[in-house]
Amino acid sequence: MNIHEYQAKAIISQYGIKIPKGKIAYTPLEAKRAASEVSSRGPWVLKAQIQSGARPKGYFLEKNAGRGSGIRYMTSRRAIMKGAEEMLGATLVTPQTSSKGRVVTRVYVEAFHKIKKIFYTGLAIDRLEAEITLLLANLGNKSITEIAAEEPEKILRLKLDLHKGISPKQVKEAATFLELKDRYRSRLKKYVQGLFQAFKDTDALMLEVNPAGIDRYGEIVALDSKLTIDDKALFRQPQMKPLFDAYEIEERELRASKNGFQYCSFDGSIGCIVNGDGIALAAMDLIRARGEDTACFLNVKGGVDRDKIAAGIKLIMTNPRVEGILINVLGGFLRCNLVADGIVAAASEVGLNVPLVVRFEGTNKDEAKRILQNSHLPVIIAEDMQDSVDKLLQAMEESD
Amino acid sequence: MSVFVNKETKVLVQGITGTQASFHVKRSLDYGTNVVAGVTPGKGGTEHLGIPVFDTIKEAIKETGANASVMFVPAKQVVVAVKEGVEAGLDLMVCIADNVPVKDMLEVKAILKQSKTRLIGPNTPGIITPGEARLGIFPENIHTVGRIGIVSRSSTLTYEAVLETKRANAGQSTVIGLGDDMIIGMDFVDAIAAFHEDDQTDAIVMVGQMGGLFEEEGAAYYRHLKHKKPIIGIVAGNTMLDDHKMGYVGDLMTYGDITVQDKVNTMKDAGIIVVDNINDIHKELLKIIA
Repeated sequence: MNIHEYQAKAIISQYGIKIPKGKIAYTPLEAKRAASEVSSRGPWVLKAQIQSGARPKGYFLEKNAGRGSGIRYMTSRRAIMKGAEEMLGATLVTPQTSSKGRVVTRVYVEAFHKIKKIFYTGLAIDRLEAEITLLLANLGNKSITEIAAEEPEKILRLKLDLHKGISPKQVKEAATFLELKDRYRSRLKKYVQGLFQAFKDTDALMLEVNPAGIDRYGEIVALDSKLTIDDKALFRQPQMKPLFDAYEIEERELRASKNGFQYCSFDGSIGCIVNGDGIALAAMDLIRARGEDTACFLNVKGGVDRDKIAAGIKLIMTNPRVEGILINVLGGFLRCNLVADGIVAAASEVGLNVPLVVRFEGTNKDEAKRILQNSHLPVIIAEDMQDSVDKLLQAMEESD
Repeated sequence: MSVFVNKETKVLVQGITGTQASFHVKRSLDYGTNVVAGVTPGKGGTEHLGIPVFDTIKEAIKETGANASVMFVPAKQVVVAVKEGVEAGLDLMVCIADNVPVKDMLEVKAILKQSKTRLIGPNTPGIITPGEARLGIFPENIHTVGRIGIVSRSSTLTYEAVLETKRANAGQSTVIGLGDDMIIGMDFVDAIAAFHEDDQTDAIVMVGQMGGLFEEEGAAYYRHLKHKKPIIGIVAGNTMLDDHKMGYVGDLMTYGDITVQDKVNTMKDAGIIVVDNINDIHKELLKIIA
C-alpha cells in the first residue's frame, strides 16, 4: 500500500526527521488559508498529492489545469488559490503513472525551504541478501531512477544491520560518498537512524526521501517523501488503515482485494482467471505471442471460499472490455471444483455472453470438469495452457 | 537418491490439526510419506489422522526422530515456528503459508543464517519426491517417478513444468517449489547444487519469474560448475509492462534496471537452454533424453 507525500512526511517527522512546515488542503480556499498558516510570507510550494513520483516532470491532461507540473512555486496567496483550483479534480500524468494519470483530490501547501545541497535517500529490501539496504546518491540533473538504470555506480548501497541500523563505519562512508563535511556526520547518523526506525516500525517495503536537502542551519530536511507499506503486514499496522486512498485504486481491483484476490487491468480484450502470479505471467506471455492482449486478470491465489471466487469471476464477466475468458487453474492448495462452482454461480447471476475456455489441472480437476459439464454452460474445456489460448482465440473469432 | 526428501525422511507437521493441514496431510499419508508426528501446542498426547501429536518440536524429535517439517501455521506465526524448528535442529522446513510479512522474513533469514536448517518457502507448494514423499500441497496425481529435477519460483508453473516432463515421457526425481514471495528460504543455487550431486537426476527444469535476482544468482553458480547437467529454463513475465506493480521498485534501486530479457540473456550465457513458451519445455527435454 502506498500513502501520500504529506502522510509519509508526518510519519517520518515523528522519528526526528525535519520537514518543511506544510498543510493539506481539499479546496482552493483551504489552500489559501494553509499558506497563511505555514508561513507569513512566500514563497510557497504547491504540491499535487498523487501516489506517484516524478511530479515535477508531470503535466495535466485538462487544459484548464494550466501548463505547470504537479509541483509549483508560488509567491502570492492568490496564486496559490488559483493553482489549487487548477489542480484539484484534474488528472496528473507523470513518467511514473500510466498515460491515464491520476486524479488530484488534495494539494499540499508547504513553506519554501531554501537549501544548499540535495541528495537522494532510500531504504529498500535487498531481496537476494534479505537485508535492509540504505541507498544514497548526490543528485544533479538526473532523476534517481535514471541514475539507477544508467549509472548505478553513482548510488551508494549499504546493508544495514536488521537490529542496529547504520554502523559508525558506514556513517563515515556515507558522509564521504555524499561529500559532506565531518561536522555533518552525527546529523547524518541521526537522520538515517530515524528513517530506519520508521521503516521498520511501519513494515515498509520502500521509504524514500527524494530529495533530502541541507538547509542554511546545516540541518537535513526531507523535501519529498514516499512510503510503501507491506500489504501483508497491514494487520498489525492499524494506524495505516485510514490512510488508504481508494481514489488511487481501480474499483474492480478494490473489490477483488477485499476477497484477498489480485486484479490487474490492461488494454486488451481477454479476461484471465488464474491462481498464481507465475501462471498469470505465462498466460499473458502466450496471449501476447498470438498477437492478442489481456484485458485483465484475476488471481484467486489459494482461495478456498466458493462465494468469494464467484464474486471474483463476476468482476471479469462484467468487465466491458472482455471479449473472451480464459481460466487456467492448477490446483494444489486451491481445489479446482471450487472454481468450477464459482463459474456456475457467477454465470447464473450475470450471464455468460462471451466464449469461456477452462483448463483445470491438479486437485479435484475431474470433479471440476463434471460440475461444468452438468451445468450445460457453453464452456470449452482445454487440455493445456497453449491449447486453452488456441481454443479461446478460435472461439472468439467464430463468435465475431 | 533424489534430493532433500525421500521415503526415509521422517516428517513432522506443525499445525497438524487445522482443516487445510488435515486435508493435505491425509493425502501425503496416502501417498506413502513417512509422517511420524504432528505438533500443535496444547494438543500434546492426542492423536490426529492416526499420528501422535506433541506440544513441541523438541518432544516430537525425541520421540519419533523426525528430521523435516511441513509448516501449516498461519503467516503471523512463521517467525516463531521457524525459530522453534531451527533450535530443535531440524534439517528441512517447508513453509506453506502465504502472506508472511516481509519484515518477518528478514528475521527468519537472520535466524537461518546461523543454522544448518534449510527452509523451503514461504508461499510454496513444497517439495515432492514422486513415489516417496510429499511435503506440502502438490497435486500428487500429476507426478511420476523419473530423472528430471524441477525447481521453480512459481507455484502454479511448477505443476505446468511437471506436466511437460510427462509429455516428454519422463518423470521427476524431485520437484522443489521455491515460493514466489519477495524473500525466500532456499534458492536456485541450493537446488541446482543438490540436483548436481544427485545420481538420480539427469537434467533440470528451472522456472524463473520477473523480479529479484534469484535467476541471475542461480545462473552464475551454474556457469562455474565443471560437470554440468543440462538445465532447461524459462522466465515468466516477458510481456509485462514496465510500469506494472508486480515489480518491486526496490529491485531497481538496489541492483539497477533488470528486465526479464536480461535474465534470459544471463541464463543463456551461463549455458542454460531457455525457452519462451512453457509448453515448449517437453520439446527440449525430448532432445536431451534422446
